[in-house]
Amino acid sequence: MSAFANPTMMLVATFLPLAAALLLLFVPKENKAAFKQVAFWSMTLSFLVGLSFWFGYDRSSDAVQWAFSKDWMPTLGIKFSIGMDGISLLLWLLTAFLGPISALCSFEAIADREKEYYIWLLVLQTSMLGVFIAQDMFLFYIFWEVMLVPMYFLIAIWGGAQKLYAAIKLFLYTLAGSLLMLVAILAIYFLQHKHSGHYDFSIASFQMMAPVIAAQGKTFGLLLALAFFVAFAIKVPMFPFHTWLPDAHVQAPTAGSVILAGVLLKMGTYGFVRFLLPIFPDAVRTLMPWLLALALIGIIYGALVAMVQADMKKLVAYSSVSHLGLCVLGLFALNSYGLKGAMFQMINHGISTPGLFLCVAVVYDRRHTRQIADFGGLMKTMPVYATVFILMTLSSIGLPLLNGFIGEVLCLWGAFQAHPWIGASATIAIVLGAAYMLWMVQRVLFGEVSEVNAKMGDLSRRELATFIPLIAAAVWIGLYPQPFFRVMDAPVAKLLKQANPGQVEGPALEMAAVPESAPEGAGR
Amino acid sequence: MNTFAQGLMDSLLQGVPLIAPQILLTVIATLMLWPGDLLFAKGEKHKWAPVAFAALLVAGVFIYLGKPGEGFNGMYRVDGLTKGFQALVILSALATVALSQRVLNSLREQTVEYYALILFATAGMLFLCGATDLVSVYFSMELMALCSYILVGYFRSQKRGVEAGMKYYLLGAFSSAIFIYGVSLLFTATGGLVTNLNELGQKLPLVPQANSLLVFGGVLFILVGMCFKVSAAPFHQWSPDVYEGAPTPITAFMATAAKAAALAAFLRVFGTAFHGLMDQWRLPLEFVAAMSMILGNVAAIRQQSMKRMLAYSGIAHVGYMLMGVLAADTATGVQAVWLYALVYLFMNMGAFAIVIHIQKGGVGERIDDLRGLGKKRPALAFAMLIFMFSMAGIPPLAGFFTKFYLFNIAVQNGLIGLVTIAVLTSAVSAFYYLWVIRQMYFHEGGAEVEAPGMAVSTIVFVGGAVTLIATAFGPKLLELASRIGWL
Repeated sequence: MSAFANPTMMLVATFLPLAAALLLLFVPKENKAAFKQVAFWSMTLSFLVGLSFWFGYDRSSDAVQWAFSKDWMPTLGIKFSIGMDGISLLLWLLTAFLGPISALCSFEAIADREKEYYIWLLVLQTSMLGVFIAQDMFLFYIFWEVMLVPMYFLIAIWGGAQKLYAAIKLFLYTLAGSLLMLVAILAIYFLQHKHSGHYDFSIASFQMMAPVIAAQGKTFGLLLALAFFVAFAIKVPMFPFHTWLPDAHVQAPTAGSVILAGVLLKMGTYGFVRFLLPIFPDAVRTLMPWLLALALIGIIYGALVAMVQADMKKLVAYSSVSHLGLCVLGLFALNSYGLKGAMFQMINHGISTPGLFLCVAVVYDRRHTRQIADFGGLMKTMPVYATVFILMTLSSIGLPLLNGFIGEVLCLWGAFQAHPWIGASATIAIVLGAAYMLWMVQRVLFGEVSEVNAKMGDLSRRELATFIPLIAAAVWIGLYPQPFFRVMDAPVAKLLKQANPGQVEGPALEMAAVPESAPEGAGR
Repeated sequence: MNTFAQGLMDSLLQGVPLIAPQILLTVIATLMLWPGDLLFAKGEKHKWAPVAFAALLVAGVFIYLGKPGEGFNGMYRVDGLTKGFQALVILSALATVALSQRVLNSLREQTVEYYALILFATAGMLFLCGATDLVSVYFSMELMALCSYILVGYFRSQKRGVEAGMKYYLLGAFSSAIFIYGVSLLFTATGGLVTNLNELGQKLPLVPQANSLLVFGGVLFILVGMCFKVSAAPFHQWSPDVYEGAPTPITAFMATAAKAAALAAFLRVFGTAFHGLMDQWRLPLEFVAAMSMILGNVAAIRQQSMKRMLAYSGIAHVGYMLMGVLAADTATGVQAVWLYALVYLFMNMGAFAIVIHIQKGGVGERIDDLRGLGKKRPALAFAMLIFMFSMAGIPPLAGFFTKFYLFNIAVQNGLIGLVTIAVLTSAVSAFYYLWVIRQMYFHEGGAEVEAPGMAVSTIVFVGGAVTLIATAFGPKLLELASRIGWL
């Protein structure tokens, strides 16, 4: 399997969806089955090819693996260079994993303009995968911005009642952020030229600029760091840049929500990990109190707002603000526990939140309402659905032995180590999270069955098929997270060194004791 | 006397080959007016279009083959900058002639004068690209402008066109007066007899302190005059009205060719003659650039007419391009501006071609009229989508690449504040570009749109293809741009 792991296959796996999209351009509009099958299978194939990287990845090295580089615009120092390290590998796989699910969940929900829909979905997939393999700033920026266009169309054409507003809000918000980042990128680029005498857009060379930027004085570094920070904070989204998120999530079609929650939000945290921490260690330290405060506000605010939502999708959307807040908190704890916790939180959130959105979609497709008050007693009429829903909820609130637990605990642990008070206050999130989630489950699944709700059928085979991979991943990570640790160990250690220049590395994290000693099969 | 005649002869022989394209165009245009006009009967005037097209093509070949050199006692010069911007002018003029057919036919306004005027205007623009003396800059600008005034008001039956032509003429004359007044101030300050740009560049920094106010005033007046020509805020007021009122092909012509030629002159005047005085005009020009970006992009948001919207967006794009003029290293600035203008030409021509196609009888260019285009004409709508996203600077389209390159140069020159304004306003611009896309894809209705003819299809296809894939060929573009410069 790992024989496939080479740069060519990485390109193939990344661009396969785009190739499929180009192919679909020539398929006549009426051939609806073809769009669905091509979209689903091309993304599945892309994931399967991508799996070889999981097996072929050299866990002992923190270098960018399968690096491939070709001159693109030599005079500007722009290269077409790709490669993966453990962090990008995990997020790449997550994206590829969610791709087929997002196609599968659209088969029946999307009933008009299928051709355009699947083409945009495939373009989106390639641009997201591309973000994680880009090792050149220019290339990264292209993928990063292209992502917006298909997302805009997915929401604006196939979204809910307020779709146009939501779509343009998402577009303008993120565009403004990324453009500011572009200015900062250019500023660093020229600083580097002044410093080393040649132009280079590679991400590695940007990361090596950290000491030079620090030497330019505090304000300079701070301004650049802020430009990067705002671009990523909008994507995460961190409080107070989160206002686009509830609109976009609620209006987006299910697949859009799945991708938004599963992948797009991680772009922000990935940006923090890849750029903000390594390039601006000093500025991050200066901004630290603010960053932590914003993360903490996000955690609590998101949870509180989620609690009062009457709309299920909105509730899940606000829960994302809270969960990602915790992830950011772990990141900026800047220790091994926190960073690994943040990585886990990214992956876990990318499994459980899409699952929850799919759960909402199941009842929405049947009743065309998402109001919690409209439901009740589904446990009796839809037992399989209820089980799945409960599982996803538990995974989201971090029940031990499901995936959410490990990430949350590590984030909190890391935060506590770095800033005891902040870590302690963040634990409120766990309590609140359990409260709003379980409360929703209670209101939807238990209680009296109304007449309309009694007519709803249980999960179809296709719907079940979208949930099974998510459940499998949730249980696997919950029971045996060790393989994931091994992939992220080396890159996280490297990141720590970059983010704490001149400090000794903390003790390596041994996680063997926590999950493996637990009784088998206690996930249910 | 004999030596004088000899000298005159020599300099003419030296100079004439340099302006061969202009001579060709003027001669053909003159012959078209008389006796050519008698050639085709009244209903057959559309036959002049291929003639004008061919003349422009031949002029293009002349430009391509033309050798660099200087003539007419330093009044005119062919170098990389000249040829680069002249190429843009010719491309734009070719597209204009091709696009005019539909509009003129539908209004039964085919006349030989229309084509002759386009050729004369083109000749003026070609002169402007290579003018290296304040006097030759002035008369090329006037030749270009006089023809444009008439072309803008060309449809006598349409009130708004005539009004636009009048407005353009009055304001244009006013700005020319300001320009020439600035020239006279500089003329006085340097002690007379110097209007050549290169000589001015050497002499102006040496002007005694007592005359510095004269120099400053002169530079400022010339700046204002040129800002008017490129329609930079706050000297832009004419452009939305004129763009809206003019026949749409002429709007496209002015938005691309006239702008490119005026920018070439702008770059040359400020890059050579006033380069040493940069400290004096940097702040005013920075202000103009910032104003253009902000005003253009913000005002474009509320426009209902596609032509007005493109006018305001054009003001904003000029704001971006002026950052290239502000580059201390003129060569890189010129290259960035040229690259930007090149891609701008393709995007704009493509967008205008679609607008012309949608229009019925020269009216109906509201953004609403694009409604449902995504369903009715998917190919046209997709092309428009590309043009809009490209103008908004979304990667990987060509508009992104040139914007990136221009911002790149600007940051290199320490214009971080201006670049920040530029990126923020370009985020604003996404709003109105998306508005067009929204009408095409998310709204139904609108009138039927027939299949596009050859001219529109070709222009839209070429524009779209270039815009779509140019970034992949970035090195090729940069290589092309690297030929632009003073010799």
